[in-house]
Amino acid sequence: MTTLTFPLSRIEGHARVVIETEGGEVLSAQFQAVELRGFRHFVQGTPAEQMPVIVPRICGVCSTAHHVASVKALENVFGITPPELACKIREVLLLGQLIQNQATSLFIFTMPDRVNVESLFHVDETEASRAHQFSIAQRALKVRKIGTDLITLAGGQFIHPVKAHIGGMAGGITREVADRMLVDLKEMLPVACELFDAYWEMSMTLRDRIGTWGDDEPTYYISATNSVKPHFNSGHLRVLSPEGDEKVKFTPEEFEKQIEFKETEYSYAGQTSYQGNILRANSLARINMTNEFGTGCADGYLKRFREAFGRPAHAILFFDLCRGIELVYAMERAIEMLSDDLNYMDPDIPYKPQDGIGYGLVEAPRGPLIHRYVVENGRIADAQFIIPTVHNMLAIERALNVVAKRYIHSDHINLELEKAVGRVVRAFDPCIACATQ
Amino acid sequence: MEGKTPELPKFAVLQLSGCAGCEVSLLNASEWYDKFNLVYMPLVVSSHRVPDDVEVLLISGGVRNDEDAYKLQRAVRNVDRVIAVGTCAISGGVTNLGDRDDVREMFLSDAKRMHLPNLLAKTHPVDAFVDVDLYLPGCPPTPELFMAALLNPPDFKASGIVCGECGRRKLNDMRPKHLLGFQQGEVLPDICLTNQGYLCVGTSTRGGCRAICTRAGHPCVGCRGPSNGFIEKESAVWLENIKRVFERMTDIPSEEIDEALRSPQLSMFLFQFSDYAGGNRRIRSKEKVL
Repeated sequence: MTTLTFPLSRIEGHARVVIETEGGEVLSAQFQAVELRGFRHFVQGTPAEQMPVIVPRICGVCSTAHHVASVKALENVFGITPPELACKIREVLLLGQLIQNQATSLFIFTMPDRVNVESLFHVDETEASRAHQFSIAQRALKVRKIGTDLITLAGGQFIHPVKAHIGGMAGGITREVADRMLVDLKEMLPVACELFDAYWEMSMTLRDRIGTWGDDEPTYYISATNSVKPHFNSGHLRVLSPEGDEKVKFTPEEFEKQIEFKETEYSYAGQTSYQGNILRANSLARINMTNEFGTGCADGYLKRFREAFGRPAHAILFFDLCRGIELVYAMERAIEMLSDDLNYMDPDIPYKPQDGIGYGLVEAPRGPLIHRYVVENGRIADAQFIIPTVHNMLAIERALNVVAKRYIHSDHINLELEKAVGRVVRAFDPCIACATQ
Repeated sequence: MEGKTPELPKFAVLQLSGCAGCEVSLLNASEWYDKFNLVYMPLVVSSHRVPDDVEVLLISGGVRNDEDAYKLQRAVRNVDRVIAVGTCAISGGVTNLGDRDDVREMFLSDAKRMHLPNLLAKTHPVDAFVDVDLYLPGCPPTPELFMAALLNPPDFKASGIVCGECGRRKLNDMRPKHLLGFQQGEVLPDICLTNQGYLCVGTSTRGGCRAICTRAGHPCVGCRGPSNGFIEKESAVWLENIKRVFERMTDIPSEEIDEALRSPQLSMFLFQFSDYAGGNRRIRSKEKVL
């Protein structure tokens, strides 16, 4: 038996792929998360109200999603509903997170694969880039920074934000501040579209070179967004069948009844499934569930995607294209939201802490994120973090099996396998710091 | 980036166990792109080893497992300048909150896996294993601080403590009688958070962050660690100072402050304490801390 180990890069966190093969037959393909810090354990005993400061540190890439989910879980424990304005500002926060994340995944993580270089910093040296007469890398990093600026505006700082409070938000967004952000967003929107067009072209070239968009069997999909003008500060989860039918809609409280979770002995991250079936979360899940975005450019890209690939679409590399559509949507939606008055009331209400169990749900860039806290005597007695990447674990492994079979033969192994492993994992944009905490 | 030549100094970023927040912050500081040749940083570059002739090595994250320790010792071998960045690399960080007997037991018994890096009993700071030339604390350090560490710009100035950058007014006649929880109560603009009864430790935390938390209305949690006045002393001195500040500025009973600062649960948010609270760690001289 031969064991092939592939260390991974251009993803968040520490993970590797291990493929076992014998006589050309693929025995297994494992996706191993190799780090663990132990948040679930060490937050036990913490004063509940400190959670929104501690849990963003689960992940510096997804800190905004954890911050908001944590506040929502505590509001659920304390039995309070934040004012409407606070919910809108949290949505702006999550849009900022989506812009930052999708730009990072598209340009820093996956674009180098399309032009065969080690990093975004080398993209400008390629033929694909020279055709465009501008620095792709510089523009890509500028688009990404718009997302971090938006998080700073609504959250106080772009990594580990502090402005979501139990009961609302620390403050509204004044007209002056919103207008400054609008100028930047409007300047960057066409740049993002131009980069995404270039990315789409590079992806077509890649598809022609390798002869596939990443074929695998269809799966179920899970997301917490709605079908029209998707919200990320959400309240329900949905599961879609491989045929595209909505199977179930449920609240985070019903999570354990709907989704199975199990640990594995070869990874510090667990795996989830739906009635024994493989699930997928992240961009492709949301796009398969979206009827329309309600914003011009994003709907244009959605139409183009649907006409080319149908609905539901299942191939692995579509995750990446869907991230581009969402990048454009998040920028357009942020422009819409900041054009409205976000300073019309006090966005914070008083509350009295109480003990109990609470759930906080948001749709993070990688899929639905749930925090579940048990509070006793004002302290955390138990905390569970149900992480989007964990929903994708089985799907990642099955897709890795497909590429392993494609490139491992009885008499040789095609070294394209190494690149294919990277492409498959990055398409799912896993976050290992989150998945293991 | 454009026009990059091979003569640029080689720059590497070693990521140990952490949240990648430091790396994300570094990516937001764009001024270094043209001044270094980034040869290793798994988040951004597909290269799986630190080359031999690296000029500047940033290390983020703490040493949580045996693979972290191995990678760290290998990476620093031929490096000119080693910079430890972020709370995890410098003090073990938020993860080190688990350095309590009850947690350690629960954690280790629950975390055995085949063929995976073995977890250590606690998260160690980087300098428990290798020598560090510069410490850049913060959770995470801001892009501005990263630039100050990498490029040493002549116009970079930082206040000694967070209060010097906060801009909130300290009042003599506003003396709360009890501590407020972090999330409880309204935050008045422009007035010192200590005056409002929040457990803010900006008075003894090193400046340079531009007080982004307190200006946004959130008490300072001390992520930049002790200011130069305290950094070469034991953590007890730092804690005593925070207590004295509250005695001077508020009517909160000192037992209440004491409990809040010393109980392992309540002091969790001050995660620098996990390392500064004693032990036989080497003193870090203030000249080495940015």
